[in-house]
Parts: sequence; structure tokens; C-alpha cells
Amino acid sequence: MDFSLENPLANSHEFHFDSIPSDLFLMESDHMPSKLLREIIDFDESFRREAVSSVLRVSCNFDPSLSYLAVNYLDRFLSSHGIPQPKPWLFRLLAVACVSLAAKMKEAEFCISDIQGDGGFVFDAKTIQKMEVLILGALNWRMRSVTPFSFISFFISLFKPEDPPLKQALKARASEIIFKAQNDINLLEFKPSLMAASALLYASQELFPMQFLCFRKAISNCSYVNKENLLQCYDAMQEVAMDGYRSEFDMVSSSDTAVNVLDQHFSSSESEKTSGTIVTRSTDSSTKIWAEKDIKRRKISVF
Amino acid sequence: MEKYEKLEKVGEGTYGKVYKAKDKVTGQIVALKKTRLEMDEEGVPPTALREVSLLQMLSQSLYVVRLLSVEHVDANSTNSNLDDSDPSKRNQTNNKSNLYLVFEYLDTDLKKFIDSHRKGANPRPLPPSLIQSFLFQLCKGVAHCHSHGVLHRDLKPQNLLLDQDKGILKIADLGLGRAFTVPLKSYTHEIVTLWYRAPEVLLGSSHYSTGVDMWSVGCIFAEMSRRQALFPGDSEFQQLLHIFRLLGTPTEEQWPGVTALRDWHVYPKWEPQNLVRVVPSLGPQGVDLLSKMLKYDPAERISAKAAMDHPYFDSLDKSQF
Repeated sequence: MDFSLENPLANSHEFHFDSIPSDLFLMESDHMPSKLLREIIDFDESFRREAVSSVLRVSCNFDPSLSYLAVNYLDRFLSSHGIPQPKPWLFRLLAVACVSLAAKMKEAEFCISDIQGDGGFVFDAKTIQKMEVLILGALNWRMRSVTPFSFISFFISLFKPEDPPLKQALKARASEIIFKAQNDINLLEFKPSLMAASALLYASQELFPMQFLCFRKAISNCSYVNKENLLQCYDAMQEVAMDGYRSEFDMVSSSDTAVNVLDQHFSSSESEKTSGTIVTRSTDSSTKIWAEKDIKRRKISVF
Repeated sequence: MEKYEKLEKVGEGTYGKVYKAKDKVTGQIVALKKTRLEMDEEGVPPTALREVSLLQMLSQSLYVVRLLSVEHVDANSTNSNLDDSDPSKRNQTNNKSNLYLVFEYLDTDLKKFIDSHRKGANPRPLPPSLIQSFLFQLCKGVAHCHSHGVLHRDLKPQNLLLDQDKGILKIADLGLGRAFTVPLKSYTHEIVTLWYRAPEVLLGSSHYSTGVDMWSVGCIFAEMSRRQALFPGDSEFQQLLHIFRLLGTPTEEQWPGVTALRDWHVYPKWEPQNLVRVVPSLGPQGVDLLSKMLKYDPAERISAKAAMDHPYFDSLDKSQF
């Protein structure tokens, strides 16, 4: 009975799609943030960032897919309601309720007290319940979110050759990119199916460049995929995949010199909850940025 | 809920009252299904959450009644004044709330439709092409539910709503089986109909699957052709005897494990009758499909998806669905 991001329609893991999941393509728009969210963000960029990081803090002990689902609820809630007066406690309450709903959908073992944590605010059951009901109403109880993960198996089925380990690698890398992309406000406007297709294409170009053209053609030929939007989404996704901190650079500085980028990169990763290992890793990825920046120039006209 | 004006009570389902209502703004006529939601310390119950959201998704199919919206009403907000004098009582009502499921409204159902062809001013059989079309849509809707892991468990003509103008049949009353506490008796103490219940359920099998719905589909198929129920039992025992008299008393060879089922008794040994005798107007392909839906062994019963490919539907233009 529990809900899986990869298979939102099915009530049990035994069931799989044997054809184009047309239901999913038809309903995906009901499960994504509306344009209103974009307007709110344009007005106040920190708004969504604070709300999302609040969800991530509350859900840090769960599976990443649970956090992903909770952020999806959050975005859709913000799209329909906004928050007139952003207050830290309100972000916290919203986060607790979104995570609680996601945990219930995924049948995660938890109790409300676990996720209240040490955020400095403790809400009583009644308050959380009211917030849950408010979110459910805003989402019209559409809690089986159609997300990019829902389209992965379908698009992967278009990948040739039929080689399970290859496909597994592709899927793993694409999932990583999709998780990363949720934080990027530039991707909010794209349909989940386009995000899935773009992430897979990017992963394929990175891991199996020989198969890329063929894969791209197969995806573009799918009647549910709008080629122009795919191109736009792929471009935006490319930025995310190459460096996950890009949105924060934009915020701090619009300067594009490599030196600045590296500086920003360090400062932003240090300002997060870092441990020694993460700092080491960011050093690795920052050297990679040189190469990737270079690749980026070449990749722009990939379509 | 101020959005809707209740027009009349149209029924009392197993899980609560159903009202016909009008959206005050758009004028749209809807069916409101009221259900109690028990809140506890952990807020909205996970089962309700998962099942309502599943319903929300399943109702995307054309052959399932569309769930338009879900409205939550906190019951104690309306009752709190009444209970102020009794704190213990107030505590009880604190956790009660109601969920209104707002469905599209269709004004007739297959039971009324069949009745109108049996009695009244102009009794006449249902046109064979209409039976074929309704059965196909029913199979399509059931296949949709089954492919998403959902059993209906209570398919009957009253639960199949019709859009007569468009000739569309939609499945209603779906999927709330586990989210909401099943009352021991139905809401109105009405006798819950047994006529469409599969023999494995009647015999107390603890594991049952998609076959229970296909049995019901078979009974409904026969009823459309006969204009009367195939197995009109008035108790579980009578229900079984009705089935056995037509299909023969099941044997271990036919249905391995049947005699080990919880409610199995020793029954008179009836021989199977020829199905054509009860559905003479159905034609050989129709009778063949019916016999596959009424197989005793649930594992042998035809699936909804396979039924859609049965030769009975060869003369149907499937592209319209």
C-alpha cells in the first residue's frame, strides 16, 4: 500500500507499466508548482529557500525520496497559498506538516514528536493536524505526486542497448541530478516528464556518449514530449548537473569569472553544515568546474 | 462546504450518506459523499490519506466516477457550543471530523436502467449492442482499478452509473474498503446485497483477489441479458445454493482447496446446468465469456484485461473507448 515516487499510480509494487504511461503525462500538471510560486520567488528569493531548507532539516533522518515528496507538497502548497507574512515558526510548522504527510504516504515509521526535533518550536498535535488539513485542501488530496521519478522507467525503456547494469547506472545518475534539481528555482517551471527526460539525457551524455544521439532521438519522438520545452529544460538541467551551487552564485554575484566562481563555491559550501569530508569533496568538484565550464561552452548547442 | 447547496439525499452507502447537491457558484450538480474521519494524536490517519489520494488518481479514468474535490469539515467547530457543559463529551468530539468526497453526478445507474426495461410502460430487452458496450466499459474500468492494485469488492448494478446521452458507464463507490472502518451492518441496517458476491468470499476464504470483481462482472453481464438477477440469494447460505444449483456443487477437482475453506459444509450434489438456459439471448460468444467469468476456481477466472480481448467483443468498435 505504501506510495513510491517511481510508481505513483500503483497501489502495489507488483504492477508495472507495459506501455506509455499516458495517465501520468495527462495528470502531471496537477502535481507541479504553479506560476504563482515563481512570482513569489521573483518577489522574494529567500522565501522558498528558507521553506525548503526547513523541510530538509525536519526530514534529515528519512530517505531522500521522502524529503523530495515533502518539498513537492511544500511547493504546491506555496503555489496555491503563498505565505502572507513569512515567520520562522510558520516555515517550521509547514515543514513539519509536509514531512508528516510524506511519511504517512510512504508508510515510514515515525511519530510526530520525532520530527519536531530541536528547531526551537514545538507544536501541539492539534496545530499540526490543522496544518495537515490545510495542505491537503490546497493540494486537493492529490498526495500521490507525479514527479520526475515517475517517468524514469518509461524513458529508460527507450534506451538502447538493453543492458540492465547500464540502465541501472543511467538511472542512478539521473536520480542524483533530479534530487539536486529540486533546489533549483530555474527548474520549477518544467513538467516532471521533461525533468526526467533531461536528467536521463544528461546522464547518458556523461556516461554513455555513444548512445546519446540515439537516446535523444527516441525521447524526442515520444508524442508526449514537447521538443522545444525539452531543449530548454535540458539546458537548465545541464547547469544544475554541472554544479549544484549555481543558484547561490547567482544570488551572491553575477560575475562570471572563474576565480570568483571558485571563491563563491568555497564560501557557499562552507556555510552549509560541513564536515571535513565534504570540504574535501568540494575541492575535487571545484577543480572539476574548470573542466566543466569548458565542456559547457561546447555543450550548449547539443540539440 | 458552504460552496454546495444540498438538494436531496440520494442514498446511504455502506460508508455514509450521499447527497445530490449544487455548486452555488457554477451551478454544477454533484454527488456529495459524507464520511467520518477519525483523527488521533498523529493527525490525519495514514490509511485515509493513502486511499483518498488513490481514489483521486483512479478517478482520472473515464470509466470511473470522477472525484472532483475533497472537502474537510471539522465537526467540533459546529458542535462545540452544544458540548461546552460536558468536558468529557467535548473531548470525544474533538477528534471527529467529516470528509466530503465531491463526485460528478450522474442521474441514473444500471439497476434503474435494467428496471426501466423490465417493468413500466414499455418492457423490452436491452439492445445486445448496448449490453456489449456496457460490459466492455465495465471491464475497462475494472482493468484500470486492478492494474493499480485496487479491488472494488462491491460491484453491483447500483454502483455502475450511466451517462445515458453519451452511452457511458462509470464505476462508483470504489476503494474505500480499507481506509474507513467497515460497519458491521450497513449504515441503514439494510441488507447488504449478496447477489454479486463470489463463492470464495461466501465460503470465508481469507485470501481473495481480482477474481472477486470478475465474478461480480459475470453476474452483472447475465443480469443485463436477463433483466433479473442471476443469483438472488437472501442469506449467505441461500446465495451459495443459488450458485450451486446453476453451476453444480463445486468439487476438489474443479476447485482445489474448496472443501478446506472456513465455511465449507456438506452440500447437496447438484450437476451443472447449461448456461444457455439462463441467458438464452446472449449468443454463443457471450455465453462462453460468461462461463469464463463464473469459473469456480478464482485462479481460472478470466481477468478484466483478457476479457476485453474475448471474441464476444469482436463486433464492437473499440476505438470509441
